[in-house]
Amino acid sequence: MVVNAETMQPGRAAKHTDAVVFDAVSFAYAHSPVIYDVSLRVVAGEMVGLLGPNGAGKSTALKLATGVLKPQQGEIRLQGDSLRSLSRAEVARRVAVVPQDFSVQFAYTVRQIVEMGRLPHMGVWGVSRVDDRLAVQAALEATNVSPLADRVFNDLSGGERQRVLIALALAQDAPIILLDEPTAHLDIRHQIEVLDLLRRLNHEHGLTVIAALHDLNLAARYFPRLILFNREIVTDGPPASVLDEAVLSRVYQTPVQVGILRGEEHLSVLPPGYSMAERGEREREPSLAPGTYVHVVAGGGSGELLMRSLADAHIAFSAGPLNAGDSDATLAERLADLCIVEPPYAPVSEQGIASAREHMLNARAVIVCPIPLGHGNIALLQAALAARQAGVPVLLLEPTRNLAASDGQADASAGDDESAFAAIRARDFSGQGMELYRQLLAAGARWVATNAEAVSALSGSQAFL
Amino acid sequence: MTTTIQPSEKPKGASGAADLQAPHQPVTAPGAKTSSSTGQLAHRHWRVGLLPLLALLLVVAMIVAGAFGEVPISPAHTAAILLNQTHLFHFPRTWPVTDEVILLQLRLPRVAGAALVGMALAVAGVLFQGLLRNPLADPLLLGTSSGAALGASIAFVVPALFTADWFGFGLIPVLAFIGALLAVALVYWLASRGGHTPVVTLLLAGVAVSAVLTAIQTLIITLNDRLGLQISALYLWLAGGVDVQTWVQVGVIGTLTLLGVFGALLLAPTLDAFALGEEMASHLGLRVERSKLAIVAVAALLVAAAVSISGLVGFVGLVAPHVCRITLGPRHRFLIPAAGLTGAIFVVVADLLARTLASPSEIPLGVVTALVGGPFFLWLLRYAGRRYTW
Repeated sequence: MVVNAETMQPGRAAKHTDAVVFDAVSFAYAHSPVIYDVSLRVVAGEMVGLLGPNGAGKSTALKLATGVLKPQQGEIRLQGDSLRSLSRAEVARRVAVVPQDFSVQFAYTVRQIVEMGRLPHMGVWGVSRVDDRLAVQAALEATNVSPLADRVFNDLSGGERQRVLIALALAQDAPIILLDEPTAHLDIRHQIEVLDLLRRLNHEHGLTVIAALHDLNLAARYFPRLILFNREIVTDGPPASVLDEAVLSRVYQTPVQVGILRGEEHLSVLPPGYSMAERGEREREPSLAPGTYVHVVAGGGSGELLMRSLADAHIAFSAGPLNAGDSDATLAERLADLCIVEPPYAPVSEQGIASAREHMLNARAVIVCPIPLGHGNIALLQAALAARQAGVPVLLLEPTRNLAASDGQADASAGDDESAFAAIRARDFSGQGMELYRQLLAAGARWVATNAEAVSALSGSQAFL
Repeated sequence: MTTTIQPSEKPKGASGAADLQAPHQPVTAPGAKTSSSTGQLAHRHWRVGLLPLLALLLVVAMIVAGAFGEVPISPAHTAAILLNQTHLFHFPRTWPVTDEVILLQLRLPRVAGAALVGMALAVAGVLFQGLLRNPLADPLLLGTSSGAALGASIAFVVPALFTADWFGFGLIPVLAFIGALLAVALVYWLASRGGHTPVVTLLLAGVAVSAVLTAIQTLIITLNDRLGLQISALYLWLAGGVDVQTWVQVGVIGTLTLLGVFGALLLAPTLDAFALGEEMASHLGLRVERSKLAIVAVAALLVAAAVSISGLVGFVGLVAPHVCRITLGPRHRFLIPAAGLTGAIFVVVADLLARTLASPSEIPLGVVTALVGGPFFLWLLRYAGRRYTW
């Protein structure tokens, strides 16, 4: 019962190696942003698990991929073609969706439900062509629901319904299948059954599978590629790199333990035991004990290289406030020991500034990256000034000074300061930034031109500290 | 890239052959249970056979309805007169000429009108129930009834010099037709926001618009003292009754109805997909909003056509779809023609009862449909429809 084997030429398949591509996609419901600047590439034949806490925008991402929702910014491509250029039926022939469980109006039988999968392929008179029926039959058998074919869908159990929904998607005969938490509401046996089925479809039929999942352990076991998603991509890679205790704890905001269970070859994520939970709490707090960490004021990518350098040097640091979706925020979520996050595109809140002020006062040093000086960031500079006046060392990262330094004027000179001031003036939208920089310098803040210089200033036992 | 799903257990030739022999037989893998599939085979054939059976029943009902009346004509004579009309048969005339005139010029147009009204309302009921995913949905729901009633009321109070004749239709049916269509258009427009028309909003807008239009209608009737004697005529119109005098009228309404039924059949797969929810329908490649508009437009056309010649006949559009769904299952490709034929039979019989039960006076059709249809539907729900799930 070959449906299309002959038409599946290797050349044709190779032409669309990209199954789903997100290119700088942002989306907001009314005024609440859900997804910011997501870029993502899933190759044909991949099996990708989408992880993330509730409300992280996983379902939204899936809806964007099918064109049910339209992104405000960016572009989504299916097999190389922009969603904008495809009709609904064309999309449905490329992507099938398995929703979270739904109830069906009226007493349709399983076969009738699965036949609806042929809708994007058929003419006006409904299911009738031989290959429609063959595709339906094949889908019923591949998912092992043939014995249920004449049962009423609404009478089935959760596991059976999930298999029928997958059969419906298979009947659609699309090369990409998206699943929204296919194992939700299922007991462990049915969870394994469904995931085994997906893996089989992926291996044997080359189906590209993208599934939003809640169960990290099953995800690690079945999906060779995981994407940890929290309104943006936090980490993307094989389970070993994505299931990182620190990252998961931060993203899910609860301590977790990652390890390999005895006799297993897969990573497992567990809630910490009681003692570990306590230890976790203790450990998280002391890492930000007064005087043990550095606070980074960044934003808009200005702190990216610095944060990487700090992490490489194992210097504990806090960062923020940063707007979620800002590339610095994404990085800080992964690297910083603490990140003060503000809602996306929002002005810095009072609480955010208060929290930053507190962290600066308790830090062993504050580093101010070359941030744009709007009104929100002016408040942060004032906080930094207060910290400086309280005796906390403040480093002003200013890469333009590096250029000046390379001209042979190694020592801080008036001309050198002028080039830095020129750069500051250029990004000062508030008119107060320059004055604050002068006050900071007067209070004893120090220029640093490179990340390396900052790191060495922090890790060494220089007189400065 | 095309994905191929290839069940491994089955030899290719065998399944192909099985498929050619019995198009509806499910191809089952060796070792799979076959009892259920043969059961389904019989079931399906029984269902397919039901449509011609219903069509035959409709013809019989129309002949019987033609035979009964103030001047009874025997069903045999009725059939003979009708067959002679085809010019293929030449039964000797053993009946008075007046019988032929009564049957062909008076009764049959009305019987045909009744069949069209029943068919249009039942199919519109299927469309509305499928679109709104609501078992209470009725073709007269989205403002159609109040729009038609308002149109008819205006026709009653318009000065007599405006009496009109379009294809045999007076002012009342024309204004009722226009009123029904305008009301639905208004409801749809009010319920739409930024290209989206949520069905719940559609329902609520329908209820609100109906209330407003009914209030305006009551106001017109109350403030207009020239209505006088006509008020009972208006009341009778509102209670429903097939009012068809000529074959031209049957032709016009028949064309509209058949167009609507044809449109509904084209929308059948769409309605099936809507049962999975709008989002899933969209995943299956439907342009959901366009489909909704199409469904409402076709249903509105059907209802307006029916209402213009029958007034407000309740219950047909609610009951016929349910009865057919209980017996035939929910697939719209079968449900639409089956419900159409069932509705037609129901209204032909109800109209016959309305004409004859209290002869020479006439009972309003709406009264009969509710009195007969209500108990029947309740019986069906209680005994035959135990497993009827929404």
